[in-house]
Amino acid sequence: MFLLNFHFILFLAFAELLGDILREKPQEADGIDSVIVVDNVPQVGPDRLEKLKNVIHKIFSKFGKITNEFYPEADGKTKGYIFLEYSVPSHAHEAVKNADGYKLDKQHTFRVNLFTDFDKYMSISDEWEPPEKQPFKDFVIYLKPDNVCPEVHSSFDFYLSRNMTLKPIYFVSTVFFFFFRYVVTFSPLMDTKDDPQAIIIWDVLTGQKKRGFHCESSAHWPIFKWSPDGKFFARMTQDTLSIYETPSMGLLDKKSLKINGIKDFSWSPGDNVIAFWVPEDKDIPARVTLMQLPSRNEIRVRNLFNVVDCKLHWQKNGDYLCVKVDRTPKGTQGIVTNFEIFRMREKQVPVDVVEMKEGIIAFAWEPNGSRFAVLHGESPRINASFYHVKSNGKIDLIKMFDKQQANSIFWSPQGQFLVLAGLRSMNGALAFVDTSDCTMMNIAEHYMASDVEWDPTGRFVVTSVSWWSHKVDNAFWLWTFQGRLLQKNNKDRFCQLLWRPRPPSLLSQEQIKAIKKDLKRYSKIFEQKDRLSQSKASKDLVDKRRGMMDEYRTYREAAMKMYQEQRPLRLELRGGVDTDELDSNVDDWEEETIEFFINEEIIPIGDL
Amino acid sequence: MKPILLQGHERSLTQIKYNREGDLLFSVAKDQFANVWYSVNGERLGTYNGHSGAVWCVDVDWDTKNVLTGSADNSCRLWDCETGKQLAMLETNSAVRTCGFDFSGNIIMFSTDKQMGYQCYLNYFDLRDPQQIEDNQPYLSIPCSESKITSAVWGPLGEFVVAGHENGEINQFSAKSGEIVKKIKEHTKQINDIQTSVDLTMFITASKDCAAKMFDTTSLDHIKSFKTERPVNSAAISPNMEHVVMGGGQEAMEVTTTSTRIGKFEARFFHAAYEEEFGRVKGHFGPINCVAFHPDGKSYSSGGEDGYVRIHYFDPQYFDFELEA
Repeated sequence: MFLLNFHFILFLAFAELLGDILREKPQEADGIDSVIVVDNVPQVGPDRLEKLKNVIHKIFSKFGKITNEFYPEADGKTKGYIFLEYSVPSHAHEAVKNADGYKLDKQHTFRVNLFTDFDKYMSISDEWEPPEKQPFKDFVIYLKPDNVCPEVHSSFDFYLSRNMTLKPIYFVSTVFFFFFRYVVTFSPLMDTKDDPQAIIIWDVLTGQKKRGFHCESSAHWPIFKWSPDGKFFARMTQDTLSIYETPSMGLLDKKSLKINGIKDFSWSPGDNVIAFWVPEDKDIPARVTLMQLPSRNEIRVRNLFNVVDCKLHWQKNGDYLCVKVDRTPKGTQGIVTNFEIFRMREKQVPVDVVEMKEGIIAFAWEPNGSRFAVLHGESPRINASFYHVKSNGKIDLIKMFDKQQANSIFWSPQGQFLVLAGLRSMNGALAFVDTSDCTMMNIAEHYMASDVEWDPTGRFVVTSVSWWSHKVDNAFWLWTFQGRLLQKNNKDRFCQLLWRPRPPSLLSQEQIKAIKKDLKRYSKIFEQKDRLSQSKASKDLVDKRRGMMDEYRTYREAAMKMYQEQRPLRLELRGGVDTDELDSNVDDWEEETIEFFINEEIIPIGDL
Repeated sequence: MKPILLQGHERSLTQIKYNREGDLLFSVAKDQFANVWYSVNGERLGTYNGHSGAVWCVDVDWDTKNVLTGSADNSCRLWDCETGKQLAMLETNSAVRTCGFDFSGNIIMFSTDKQMGYQCYLNYFDLRDPQQIEDNQPYLSIPCSESKITSAVWGPLGEFVVAGHENGEINQFSAKSGEIVKKIKEHTKQINDIQTSVDLTMFITASKDCAAKMFDTTSLDHIKSFKTERPVNSAAISPNMEHVVMGGGQEAMEVTTTSTRIGKFEARFFHAAYEEEFGRVKGHFGPINCVAFHPDGKSYSSGGEDGYVRIHYFDPQYFDFELEA
């Protein structure tokens, strides 16, 4: 489901009319901020105008008091858009936020905007001056979420910013970034037969549209997959694999590859190699093929029999490819799963098979390493197994933990450590594992956790409860890689947290070696700095608390003074009985001893 | 601390209250009953039988002679504390939501809900005048046309009643003239509970807007705010420490999964001066509807949606605990 934004089209239609209105508008800046424009309003004649106004009033007064309204007319009917003014800008904002997209009836879905948004566009100068050559600066690409859905695809307004001047470029559905050179945007309804616009590839540096593509509605995002060095990108359509090269954006060798029945493909993250698989076709068995680009040499083909489905899992550096194969062996009814492990770095890419006796819930390669973790079985008996792909041709099962509450695996980006998490329906069970010796470092829980994010160095993990999946207890918790809880941060309506990615190190290998040698000296300096910053933080807190306590004590003193002054009144109200303290009238107390039955114990004395 | 569990109600608790000396704990619930317990060991002393609808509120006078209850059966009843005998029944046109004895124990007030065409009223009866009771004629009856009263407490000398309303407003109603002497609006949603400090100089409000706030009773000055992420159902001020306790819950719609282990609903303790949360006590299997401190501050109790009342005696560490300052 893509929620679309018709703002761009609206803007073009309004340009002329607004010009007149804006020239005549009163110069108060304040009033303008409280005005909204509602489009897709039914066009009615004077006989039904009153009724229309009532309906509009009913819907829009929910956000605040409407102080002014204007229904422009042409040829005896309303034009189809109206202006409403509220008493304060915040009401106008509320109206835009909540009424935009309101379905009045089958033909009319309101589009609501702030008047100031149009004003902004109108003030772009008519004269075009060639821009000055600007020194190259960092880019910021603003994505203004318009209607965020809890799925992969959301609706964004896309702005390209240079030196912080916002220039709206396009209204799109999804954006992808590749190597900071290209941006791919997807907006299905902008497509026309002659001018493919559903998918557009932009050059980030120039802001230029490089090429547009058509797109079938049933396509599976991401439609284009890029090679690791950015030289190629490919997409799969019915029986066809189309590979394009950059920067020309043309088809490699000027033609697509015809591969009958191609089901899925993916690039190696390390080399320009594509892996794809084709299901069984009459006598020809299913097969997985590894193809080198740009030569298109098939460096490895693997036949598979009785295949139901395949999934491709690349190791982060492209050292290994795991193909998870679901098969129904001849003569049986059930599905068994094998992992076909392709050793990419060895001559002729040998393949080893690991047979799994149970259904697979999750699979993940160790980044930078040669281990992988598997969650298999069925709730409540879920097992976690860890395998090591050894260089001597064997794949060893290092360890298996049974009865785990987990449905996802999160490796540290540096490898070795991982978190087994039971997200969402499994109530946030967490297990922190060190795979070097396969020990459980810690078992913990973040109730209803929906996401796990490692920081890029692998030192910290954040578990979070997103508002998209659970409406209460939204928070993100910070843990060390060993599973020690450091912080809990509650945040109302918290949705998502992402760690800032690390750019590649600026240090050379020798410099890194030298630092590692000298680590003791550096760690001393850092610990000192840490202590200083810690004590400063608590000093601020302590000062704040002192201030609050002083204020409070001052108030209490004044209150107690008045309390003492009122004492005679209190005594009078209670007939002279002093009740100011609990022990004020001890003489009045009666002492009573009551026995309560507590326990009965039978002690055998033994033979006398 | 190991809590004492009181299992005397079949439905959710609506209010709990200690008497002035703290030896008795009164509890009322939606199951039509009012119970009284020894707070020292949780043994039930007795039940006040008679209401035919959910009991919303309870109060006991300073001398622990009379008990007052208000119910959804459109009555406010007066009972003899020791014998359990019903002394008086005041019929109303709608449910009685909140009730209380004034400082002297001679005047009672109660509010009725806005229901079935009837407005919300704040009624005052003087118990020294038996005619008022016999005729069911309050000496003062104040209508509240705007937002109904959801909780109310007496001022320190019986001169006014502080009422919290459905829209978050707090009003001071004079007990002599019925006028609104002062009004403030610090909360944005319904006030679920108001409780005074033991010396009646301050009170704390618990609101659906997920915050509890402390005010000076006479001036209605806003002193402190305690913010959480859940609607607060009840709050109380410690008599001897600078602490407040709060109990709350989620919107009923949002309670999805429940853990079968120890109950997940917690009572939360805040430092009254620093406004910082410093502790939580788990145990209830449903939202906490009412909390109360024992007048000596050595224990507190909570009543939950689960029908249980839990009495907790604090460990020594609770009294030694200090936030760095």
